[in-house]
Amino acid sequence: MTREEEDLLIEQVAGAWRPGTDDELRYHKAWHDLEPAGRTRAFERARALRPIEAALDPDGLSTTARAVLSRLRR
Amino acid sequence: MDLDVHFASIVSGDAAAFGRWLAGSEGTVRDSLRSFAAVVDVEAVLQESMLRVWQVAPRFVPDGRPNGLLRFSIRIARNLAVSELRKVRTRPAEAEEIEAALSEDEPPVAAPDPMLRRAIIECREKLPAKPREAFDARLANAGGKDDEDLAQTIGMRLNTFLQNFTRARKLIADCLNKRGVVIDAELGA
Repeated sequence: MTREEEDLLIEQVAGAWRPGTDDELRYHKAWHDLEPAGRTRAFERARALRPIEAALDPDGLSTTARAVLSRLRR
Repeated sequence: MDLDVHFASIVSGDAAAFGRWLAGSEGTVRDSLRSFAAVVDVEAVLQESMLRVWQVAPRFVPDGRPNGLLRFSIRIARNLAVSELRKVRTRPAEAEEIEAALSEDEPPVAAPDPMLRRAIIECREKLPAKPREAFDARLANAGGKDDEDLAQTIGMRLNTFLQNFTRARKLIADCLNKRGVVIDAELGA
C-alpha cells in the first residue's frame, strides 16, 4: 500500500459513518485494511476533527454525536 | 461542569438532553479508549457505547458525585472495547493502565470556547469551493452515509472527495494556526 492510499483509508476511518445495524457493532471496512499505526492515526484524526465539527454545528454536536442521536432507541 | 444536570431529562426520554450530554461527554469517553486504538475501531465502539448509555440510563443510579453518568459511560465503553479485544486476542495496554483510567473519579469536562468557535467558523468560510463542498457534505450528513455515497451525491469520485476533504482539513488547520490557535497536530497532518 502506498502512503497516499493509506492516507485515504485513514481519512475514511476518521469519519463518523459506520455500517448501520440495530444490534451489532460494525467496523468501518477500511479499518481492517490499516496497520496498527494507521488505525492509531485514524483515532487521532477523528479526535482532532470532532471539536471542529461540533464548533460548526448549531447545537454543538459532532458528527459522532449526530450519528448516535439518529440511532436512538429505547 | 457536571453533565449530570441532564440526567433526569435523559431518563425521561428527552433526546435533546441526551444530545447536550453527548456534546460534553464524547471527547472524554473517546480519550478513555485511546489505548485500544490500534486494535479496535474506536469510533464504532464509542457510538455503540453511547447508544447503550441511552438505553440503560433509566436503570442507572447516580452515586451523588459529579458526572456519574459519564463515569458509567466510560466503563461501558471500556468493557465493550475489552470484549472486542478478546475476539482478536491482543492487548493494547498494560492492565495497570486500564485500571488507572477506570478509577478516575472526576473525568475532565471542558466547556466550549466561544472565541475558538468563532475562529473555526471563519476559517471554514475561507475554504475554496470544492474542499468546502466535501467538508460540508460530511458535516451535513453526520455519519449517515459512507464517503462513497457522499462523493456520488456531490458528483465526485471517492478519491477526489477524500482528497478535497483532506485539503479542507489542512486548510482549516493552517488558518487556525495563523490565528494562534493551538490545534491537534493530526488535524493538519
